[in-house]
Amino acid sequence: MGFFDDTISLSAPPEGRVEATAKVTGSGKYSAEYEVASLCHAVLVGSTIPAGIIKSINVGNARQVEGVIDVITHLNRPMVPAFADEAKIKEARFGLPVFHTDKIYFKGQPIAMVIAETLEDATYAASLITAEYAADQFNVDFEKSYKNAELKTAGKDRGTADSWAETPSVVEAEYTIKNEVHNPMEMHATIAHWTAENELKMFDKNQGVNNVQRMFAKLYNIPAEKIHVVSEFVGGGFGSGLRVWPHCLAAVIGAKAVKRPVKLVLTRPQMFTLVGYRPESWQKVKIGADNSGKFTGILHQARHATCVYDNFNEGITRIARLVYNFANLRTESATVPLNLSMPTWMRGPGDCTGDFAIESAIDELSYKLNIDPVQLRLQNLALEKDPDSGKKWSTNFVDECIKLAAEKIQWQNRKAAIGAISDGDWKTGYGMAVGMWNAGRSNASAGIKMLKDGSITVQTAMTDIGTGTGTAMQNIAKDATGISKEKIRIELGNSNLPPAPSQGGSTGLSSISGAVAAAVNALKMKLAGFAAAENDTYKNVVGADIILSDNGISYKTTNQQFVPYSVIWEKNNLQVLEVEASSAPGDERKQLAFCSSAAHFCMVKVNTKTGKIKIEKMVCAADGGTIVNEKAAANQISGAVVGGIGMALMEEQLIDPKLGTAIGNDLAGYHFAVNADAPIVEVIFVNKPDVNSNPSGSKGLGEVGIIGAAAAIANAIYNAIGKRLRDLPITPDKVLMG
Amino acid sequence: MRPFIFTKPATADQALIKKTNQAQFIAGGTNLLDLMKKHIALPEELLDVTNALPAAITANTKGIRIDAMVRNSAIASQAEVLSQFPLLAKAVLAGASPQIRNMASTAGNLLQRTRCPYFYDTTVPCNKRIPGTGCSAMDGDNRMSAIVGYSNQCVAVHPSDMCIALAALEANVLVTGRDKKQHSIPFKDFHRLPGTTPQLDNNLPANAVITAVEIPGNRFQKNFAYVKVRDRDSYAFALISVAAALHMEAGVISEARLASGGVAHKPWRWYKAEQFLKGKKPSAENFRQAASIAVGETKPLANNKFKTVMLQGAIETALQNCLTA
Repeated sequence: MGFFDDTISLSAPPEGRVEATAKVTGSGKYSAEYEVASLCHAVLVGSTIPAGIIKSINVGNARQVEGVIDVITHLNRPMVPAFADEAKIKEARFGLPVFHTDKIYFKGQPIAMVIAETLEDATYAASLITAEYAADQFNVDFEKSYKNAELKTAGKDRGTADSWAETPSVVEAEYTIKNEVHNPMEMHATIAHWTAENELKMFDKNQGVNNVQRMFAKLYNIPAEKIHVVSEFVGGGFGSGLRVWPHCLAAVIGAKAVKRPVKLVLTRPQMFTLVGYRPESWQKVKIGADNSGKFTGILHQARHATCVYDNFNEGITRIARLVYNFANLRTESATVPLNLSMPTWMRGPGDCTGDFAIESAIDELSYKLNIDPVQLRLQNLALEKDPDSGKKWSTNFVDECIKLAAEKIQWQNRKAAIGAISDGDWKTGYGMAVGMWNAGRSNASAGIKMLKDGSITVQTAMTDIGTGTGTAMQNIAKDATGISKEKIRIELGNSNLPPAPSQGGSTGLSSISGAVAAAVNALKMKLAGFAAAENDTYKNVVGADIILSDNGISYKTTNQQFVPYSVIWEKNNLQVLEVEASSAPGDERKQLAFCSSAAHFCMVKVNTKTGKIKIEKMVCAADGGTIVNEKAAANQISGAVVGGIGMALMEEQLIDPKLGTAIGNDLAGYHFAVNADAPIVEVIFVNKPDVNSNPSGSKGLGEVGIIGAAAAIANAIYNAIGKRLRDLPITPDKVLMG
Repeated sequence: MRPFIFTKPATADQALIKKTNQAQFIAGGTNLLDLMKKHIALPEELLDVTNALPAAITANTKGIRIDAMVRNSAIASQAEVLSQFPLLAKAVLAGASPQIRNMASTAGNLLQRTRCPYFYDTTVPCNKRIPGTGCSAMDGDNRMSAIVGYSNQCVAVHPSDMCIALAALEANVLVTGRDKKQHSIPFKDFHRLPGTTPQLDNNLPANAVITAVEIPGNRFQKNFAYVKVRDRDSYAFALISVAAALHMEAGVISEARLASGGVAHKPWRWYKAEQFLKGKKPSAENFRQAASIAVGETKPLANNKFKTVMLQGAIETALQNCLTA
């Protein structure tokens, strides 16, 4: 053993994450963990009906509970200026106007909030609140309702539908996926503190502090700089932190009402209804090929659920237009309003759902054509240009992903015949699928503070939701400056730092790497300006000519022209040298198309007697351009793949159609994959730079790890037992009865 | 959570003196705390019995005694249990998660409430939570619900894995009341079917306490199996579980035990299937027939017809595993 006797160094090992020590020792604070003087605690009370009007709320018993400071409802809340009337509420585009309506749109909608001295007092008092409603009819039944939602074209048609009607091989099938819930480990939480009349400070779990800042500036009509949002450590988001949700505003309203800082942490059951979910969906895919296996056309139709008080369309059919060449293509979509809370982006939004249907259909087609699924894909990939925009790809290595993953899993061991590999009741099958995602980039800023000893702090407002953003920033700063990692600190997740976009859609690294490179350049130029007083070489230089080290600045020539930082600091009487710079995508985004991609390969064992599915091997080869930090990147992929295993085999949030209630809304009722369900995911990277993407050559990897994972698993199950299961999740009952 | 008084009696006698309908015992708390947080259990007082009740495992010639406060994880790693009652260790390890098994007590495992998502949702009707309000699962989502022994008032299922093995091994539950007299309740009589009183899960007398579980010695050290089919491989309740144990003499089954979880409001014994197997050869065909006999007793609900197919497969697999595993 001896582990506990060892002297543990608290400095993060060089290959570890910059935040590792803070997270492991607990010194890093998540939003709910900040200590704020005179903090009080808020607990939300949800409606017990899915639709209707609140007639009365009985808060009397709750107010009697010791420690209760106030109970907020729509009858007594301090008004949010942006919710002054119906027109303004619409204009605010906030979604649910929490505590500013007597209308109930979904079950669990917050109708009251208890604020008390302790969490225990608030929780108990909240349990005593009852309401009377005038209940309306409601509809939460997606299965019975989707057909009524009229499909509309989603994007431009290519070719015609008739031209491929006579195609020799056609597969046409319907696919359904149940609601899935993000359920990050950390519960959503907000500490709201009005530090002055119109000055707000928030510790809030989110994926974009500037987004939260802008929203509250709008809601309260105060300048954004008067709102300070901190989200330094985030325990997972998966998209649930990309919006500003009602509970966050509730905390701010509460703090205004009681004139004290208020902490509101959602309960796990509330996490199922108040911070979004991947909506239930229906799809139909019709896909055709000629005898050689060349795709002739595709029809992709999709409908998914949304709420009745706002709209959300996640773009399920987008992926149909991205990966393969289809001379004829039509995509159609519709949303289905239900008495449920607002759905939102969840890892691989839209594409992950659409990809399951398309990649399942292609697999089915491969059996029909008797062509290996790998071969069928390789011969139809759109490798030259984005088939939708017609722009040339900057880089697209999805074919390499497929070849790398096929080799790793030893695809040659697959048998085309169903169930050909068996051991008693266990049948083994192989399956594969590909995933792709638009590799976007946004404007972002970063700053650097340098001290005399050559240490720097690189700063941005961007969050790090567990993706390794801070670690990647450190890597980029090290490579761009030459300063060693031990001297590079990272600060992020704070709206007082240089602004950055929300961390979503796999754009985080791509955006921030440009900003860090720009800030490094600014630092070099500023140092060169001071160095020029010591050495003429530094007059009229460009950033690329300059090499920094732990001790000083040098020039690119062999004689180096070294000037120590100490000299610059002393001569100029400097304390801290500060720079800030922004970076944005340029014309390259108008001329070229950008994608990240992944190939998922899977080997499963299926027990024909019990319906048990065991994933034996899972390989994912991904193209994310240059891999800035392999550990963090591989972690992104394997985490996403495990999410894909959950999507394929167990994740489903059912809603009772008669009661409107989420069934089993806790972590015992809602299953996501745990270690026991997943093999060690084998991750491979193409690791070739996309020089047009951003200065680091990287492309976002957050989404592609899940896009295609579920289809690969379903396809492997088919190869094992010959059942084409098109309704996710594929639980043991479906294996037995399908 | 409703505010409550917390006391920690030092002995079983002290615990029993304080026990009333409003005062509940708490040991590991792995189920009761959940119920309190959801405002389903609203005790005025909690009596922490972790110091009051014994926590030893004692083997003798007649069998083994597992005291009330023995943690589930301790059962699964105890030498006598592993050598003489390996089916029990196997079932315990199939349950919950390591963290829960470290907390959960033997007595508490027996007393955990039956599972049904509607029981845990205080905004919907449930006869088990509030008698007379109706059963939401009967016409709702009953995928996880019972297929045998249910009533028109309740279709909830017993969730324990450990108890399925204890049922198969014909354990006895030792209980003590305020009269300080010790009673022994056969395991098959300890848990209840819902009938017209779904609010009651077991027959522990009012204000009594479980002190131990006793398992008589048996001959199931070689041919045993616990098969649990579930939606994920850890921390998930059984869709169907099967505890199977065989004793063979001269190539013929001389004794058979078969019990299931995930099928009824209590651990369910398949007596007819056991009877069928007695005197038969351990063949795939006999196993198939035994499973069919068990399945013949069931009557699935609208959303859990798959459970009969799964039960057939799980019993066949468990019996087969008795020979090989």
